[in-house]
Amino acid sequence: MKAKITFGIWEAIMMLLNTICVPLLLGFPRLMIETGGTAGWIIPIYITVLAVLFFTVIQRLYRNFEGKDIIDIAEIALGRIGRIVTGILLMLYIVFLVTITLREFTEDMKVIALINSPISFVMMFFIAAMVFGCYFGIEPLVRFSSVIVPIIALGFLFIVFGVAGNYDINHLFPILGNGPRAIFIDGFFLVSYFSPLVLLYLIAPFVRTHKIMKITGYTTILLSSIFFTLGTLCYLLVYPYPISIENFLPIYQLARVMEYGRFFQRIESVFVLIWAASAMSMLSIGFYFVVYIFRKTFELDYRRPMIWSFIIIIFTLSLFPPNLMTVLELDKMYYSKVTWIISLCYPILILLIARLRSRNPEKEAKTR
Amino acid sequence: MSVLSKVGKRILRTLIFHEPTLEKTYILEESEKQDVFGEGPKTDSKNKTDPGDNTNQGSKAGTADKTGQGKANNTDPGKKPGSVNETGEGNGRGSEKNREENDNSKQNEEGSPGKVRKILKPIPVGVDDLSKDGNDSGKNKGGQNGEDSKNKKETQNEDSQNEEDSQSEEESEISTDIKENLEYMKNAYSIPLSGDVVIREFDITIGEKNIEAFVIFIDGLIDSTVLNHFVLEPLMLLSNLDIKYVQKDIKTIILKQLLPYNQVKTVSFYKEVLENVNFGSCALFVDGLNVVFTADVKGWEHRGVERPNTELVIRGPQEGFNEVLRANTALIRKIVLNENLIVENLKVGRRSRTPCALLYIRDIANKTLVDEVRRRIKSLDIDSITDSGELEQFLEDNTFLPAPQILATERPDRVASMLEEGKVAIVMQGSPFVLVMPTTISTLVQSPEDTYMRFPGGNLFRIVRFLGIFVALLLPGLYVAITNYHQEMIPTDLVLAISAARERVPFPSVLEILIMEISFELIREAGIRIPGPIGPTLGIIGALILGQAAVAANIVSPILIIVVAVTGIGSFAIPNFSLALSLRIVRFAYIALGAVAGFLGITTGIFIQGIIYAKAKSFGVPFLTPFGPKTAGAAQDDFLNLPIWKREERPDYLNTGKRRKQDSISRKWIVREKGSDES
Amino acid sequence: MKRISAAVLLTVFTVLLLTGCYDGREVDDLAYVAAIGLDKGVTNKLKLTLVFAVPSATGGSSENGGGSGEKTSSILTLETPSIMAGLSLANNVVSRQVSIAHAKVIVFSSELAREGISNYINAFNRLRELKPTINMAVARGSAEEYLKSIKPSMESSVTKYFELIYRTYKYTGFTANTSYFKFYKYAKSTFIQPVATLAGITKNESSADFATESSIVRRNSGFPLEGEFKAGEIPRAGDIKADIMGLAVFSGDRMVGELDGEDTAYYLMLRGEFFQSTITHVDPINKDNVVLLLIKQSRNPVHRVELSGGKPVISSKISLEGDIQTIQSEINYESPELLAILEKSVEDFIRKGMEELLQKTAEEYNTDIIGYGAVAKRKFATWQQWLDFDWHKRYPMAEFHVEVDLKIRRPGLLIRTMPIISSKKGSV
Repeated sequence: MKAKITFGIWEAIMMLLNTICVPLLLGFPRLMIETGGTAGWIIPIYITVLAVLFFTVIQRLYRNFEGKDIIDIAEIALGRIGRIVTGILLMLYIVFLVTITLREFTEDMKVIALINSPISFVMMFFIAAMVFGCYFGIEPLVRFSSVIVPIIALGFLFIVFGVAGNYDINHLFPILGNGPRAIFIDGFFLVSYFSPLVLLYLIAPFVRTHKIMKITGYTTILLSSIFFTLGTLCYLLVYPYPISIENFLPIYQLARVMEYGRFFQRIESVFVLIWAASAMSMLSIGFYFVVYIFRKTFELDYRRPMIWSFIIIIFTLSLFPPNLMTVLELDKMYYSKVTWIISLCYPILILLIARLRSRNPEKEAKTR
Repeated sequence: MSVLSKVGKRILRTLIFHEPTLEKTYILEESEKQDVFGEGPKTDSKNKTDPGDNTNQGSKAGTADKTGQGKANNTDPGKKPGSVNETGEGNGRGSEKNREENDNSKQNEEGSPGKVRKILKPIPVGVDDLSKDGNDSGKNKGGQNGEDSKNKKETQNEDSQNEEDSQSEEESEISTDIKENLEYMKNAYSIPLSGDVVIREFDITIGEKNIEAFVIFIDGLIDSTVLNHFVLEPLMLLSNLDIKYVQKDIKTIILKQLLPYNQVKTVSFYKEVLENVNFGSCALFVDGLNVVFTADVKGWEHRGVERPNTELVIRGPQEGFNEVLRANTALIRKIVLNENLIVENLKVGRRSRTPCALLYIRDIANKTLVDEVRRRIKSLDIDSITDSGELEQFLEDNTFLPAPQILATERPDRVASMLEEGKVAIVMQGSPFVLVMPTTISTLVQSPEDTYMRFPGGNLFRIVRFLGIFVALLLPGLYVAITNYHQEMIPTDLVLAISAARERVPFPSVLEILIMEISFELIREAGIRIPGPIGPTLGIIGALILGQAAVAANIVSPILIIVVAVTGIGSFAIPNFSLALSLRIVRFAYIALGAVAGFLGITTGIFIQGIIYAKAKSFGVPFLTPFGPKTAGAAQDDFLNLPIWKREERPDYLNTGKRRKQDSISRKWIVREKGSDES
Repeated sequence: MKRISAAVLLTVFTVLLLTGCYDGREVDDLAYVAAIGLDKGVTNKLKLTLVFAVPSATGGSSENGGGSGEKTSSILTLETPSIMAGLSLANNVVSRQVSIAHAKVIVFSSELAREGISNYINAFNRLRELKPTINMAVARGSAEEYLKSIKPSMESSVTKYFELIYRTYKYTGFTANTSYFKFYKYAKSTFIQPVATLAGITKNESSADFATESSIVRRNSGFPLEGEFKAGEIPRAGDIKADIMGLAVFSGDRMVGELDGEDTAYYLMLRGEFFQSTITHVDPINKDNVVLLLIKQSRNPVHRVELSGGKPVISSKISLEGDIQTIQSEINYESPELLAILEKSVEDFIRKGMEELLQKTAEEYNTDIIGYGAVAKRKFATWQQWLDFDWHKRYPMAEFHVEVDLKIRRPGLLIRTMPIISSKKGSV
């Protein structure tokens, strides 16, 4: 038998943090501000509260299923059909996530660094990273995440605090922005940004105990919330409301205005390193899980032979949208508005059914 | 074509996706076993490291042969020499004996479970490899049994190996007829064809009897004075004296009364005799005895203990290893000064039988780690080996990883401090480099001086070194990436200066940097190979090529010279030569990536290199430990040093017997009485 | 399978390596634009002037004696429909690929600025190459003439000249940090309006051209103080023809007026961006002499906006501190009583100047360059309410109250000035 994969709490947190926070480097702050206006920075806090609520429900329900991932639980709940349906649903979600992110980051790189290169050329670098990452498996990926994510986080903090000279606190007023309705009702759907949390239910067997899973979940939500809020807030402090929704890459725009004396100007290119590292980390982890779920759902023995077929699918899919605007629209319409149903509601449903189904044996086990 | 492509693909595959042969992590499984089962399973491993079993403690010079019967024969100090004859009747017998001994020691251990408990640590969370859930104990048990049987199989394998060997003549037993022995030895050494083997025949007089005898030794390997005074003189002259108490047995008389030399062994196989003679002993054949006495009178010419050549320090011991095994183990023992330091003798090479020593501290080092190292060494099926550099390559997990996974060091103090941490060292005869394992990335950037120097200075060294690594690995790549793709981030004055400097250079900057890097590599290589007397000329040529002429001829721009020079200096700041070498290779990949896609290419390189590093393991320990996986107390001295009184624990990933190195208040003087707030 | 995949991957990489370098451009394949000038075109919409930094002169390898006498810059003027079209036209003229990554300043002619520059502002924001912190200037007259007249005498590189001269506001207070990024942000903002640095060329060939008629006295001190000039008006002669001083006031993308140096200092004080500056003040006791003070901003200005019936009532409190640099009259202003008089007099002077400036922006220019709107914004709960209020319409009605608090902290090296004894006065 192959050695079991396990990793520690720090690795799990770093992996999830990176996966959740990747939209921050893309359009997240812009979308917050589009929704909330000058109160855009409140929405990350609000959706954090929502995510914590969702997660509390899920982890409570999860208590009885320590060490099982969501696909196993679906089998307990709905049998083989449930397992396959859940697997496919999750896989589709992650394929969508990876595809959109891959395309956005490629476009991002093309816009900020490699203007004349064909898109497939730029994408090839991400594809290479994904294939390598997936080939080597989840363990090296999370280990590498635990090294690289703190560095990415530091770089991010360097950007948001490095532009402190341009902060203007007045940009936050009027304090309620587009009004409470926009913040709390339109903002509700933005809880989808926490949907990569679904990976936590997949790595449940790797982190072993329910307690670790619980700590990992809460810490990840809170940490990503801090970064989300900080990113949006600082972006809003530098770019006042109407202009802040113009930019395709908000955090990049922050990096652009950074200037220290005559020598340290235009250091935004350095952050290409951070962006690409974050994206590659996230994409290869996402891609690994696509293949992993497929293997798990259909109970296959090997994962590696599928890498090529899936990478070709994802590569093709991500080149499908005709232009960047379509991608952004897709992102806005589906990724950031709808995915919460799959990642936050669907697990609750599965867990509830599984719990009802397995209630009796559980009780027996307890009384014994 | 198809054959070619197949071979090519295979090579490529191994190059890219090389998997360590060791899929499972032994440390993990063993320690887990111990944790779950208490005493039962661990006896196996325990046994091998039991000091009562096979320790020579240096008294018998490097010849404690542990294969098969030899072990049972005469390496056990607790046994009377009289029992020698009993053993060695056959291979099967010997191994049976072994097993019996194992059983004995098993019982011994079960008698003291407390101690064992102490050594076996609960597994820390975070080190994934060392930690595994013990839930499915049933499965584990099965695995355990399998393991046991595997071990047995192993010993059997060993035995069958011996049988194989015994087909050759060397394995045969020594005859009682001295003529036959003489003939045998002459044949073995091809005397008189082989000129340096000396056979000295003489008579020993015991009581009234004249017994024929001869010694055989290799001229130059032995110390003549010692041989004369302590072997030949007593045998030839003193044997005539009256002996007060006469033993019955000639063998006992010779061994106990006639040979005053301090290291004498009795061996009963030709193979062993040859081995000993080859390693600088003299062998005494006596007529009528089916054993041979070998006295370790080695005294060959060797280099003294000098300053280490590669790892220099300003503050700290200035001794380095030399090529002599015992001198090296003694240098380490001189620092460790603890009876728990085990020096286990092993042999590598079917023909060369090169003596090696496995060093560890019994109550600190993780048993499973020691077992794994021993297992790997013993499993080597090779004819001969020359240097520990070869041994390293035979033992390491991943051949293609661009970083060493075993540390080779010339410094006894470094080995000693690592042994104290719980690592394992291998000393090899003939190599001044001692191998220490497991090695993680942080070990490779440490220098012993970091801890000898005071806290601020030591950390400055560290930071400078990290900078050196960064520069050596990435600077040329970054230069290419920035000048080709990200011109806007160069300060304007500088970009104009670079542009002006490149004005007359005909090459693209990638080619320019490649030219310089390759010529720099040439100079470096030439600098090592060049004969001493003409060394200075190289410096002149190098300086001229790199410095003046290339710029004057508009081959390269002056700024590029700075880049290449800084890269070179950076690589010299890396304390581990092997790491520096591997970074020098990878550097070219970064140049290519930087030239293809700027920072994006470089990031891809970093990502892939990082994944490969994260995948790698050194003896079951992930290579990026303690950063990925992050282990508890990671920051003691892995990235930057803490103050010395704060470095309280041994590395978590080694899962050592004793976790703490020092008390939480190591400086007791600092504890003040209450109420004395003023200092 | 593994073998195949590895081989495919390797092939892909090899192909990449062989076909890559789409974007790679050597440093010396580029022509670096140091400044961009925009004028109204004669034959086309736009007259574009590009100043190139010449690397061989500026970088200068040591063997060739480093560009003494060589041209440090090269100027190209062409007429085009838009900036980008102009840049690509320029590629046909200049041997190297034109790069604006290192451009330091964008200069608009005042004629163009008065017509509105929104087209160009929007175009720049889409360009990744352009540095967002590039300086914005309005040349009084022609941008082309201004750029042509720049012959840096101190620096070997024209880019360094631009970088340094647009930073002088830090110690003069006569211009401001008017980066493109700020300009863009303010031009599209609902609560503040942008300004740009005013640049000009002197008409004097030599000091003989100085004439009292053309001298400007804006305030009633009897002689022009050092802040009472705009770019190009300073009575000076020499080899440097171009200068910058004062600000161009914009309403949205349209230039509506100009501020002189002193107004600019007040603008900076009100914005809280004032670093330090020497101001000349007429001696409150001995009117023939002046006192020179080095002024710094001690605290950020405090603005308050009351909206009484839709009419903004604005009050600002400015805290300054100063060091005495010169007392011409030998009066002992270091003593506490006289110091109070001096402080009061300077405070009044600055307050009056500020109120005049504010009135001018409200009534004459109808543009809130100080950003009082940002403060007013706090009174609103939602964005819609704020939009409905329409600040830019209400600002011209505003009423201003300025309070200046100046503390003179230290007198330089002296703590009193003894009078100079001359035999003519006969007091031995």
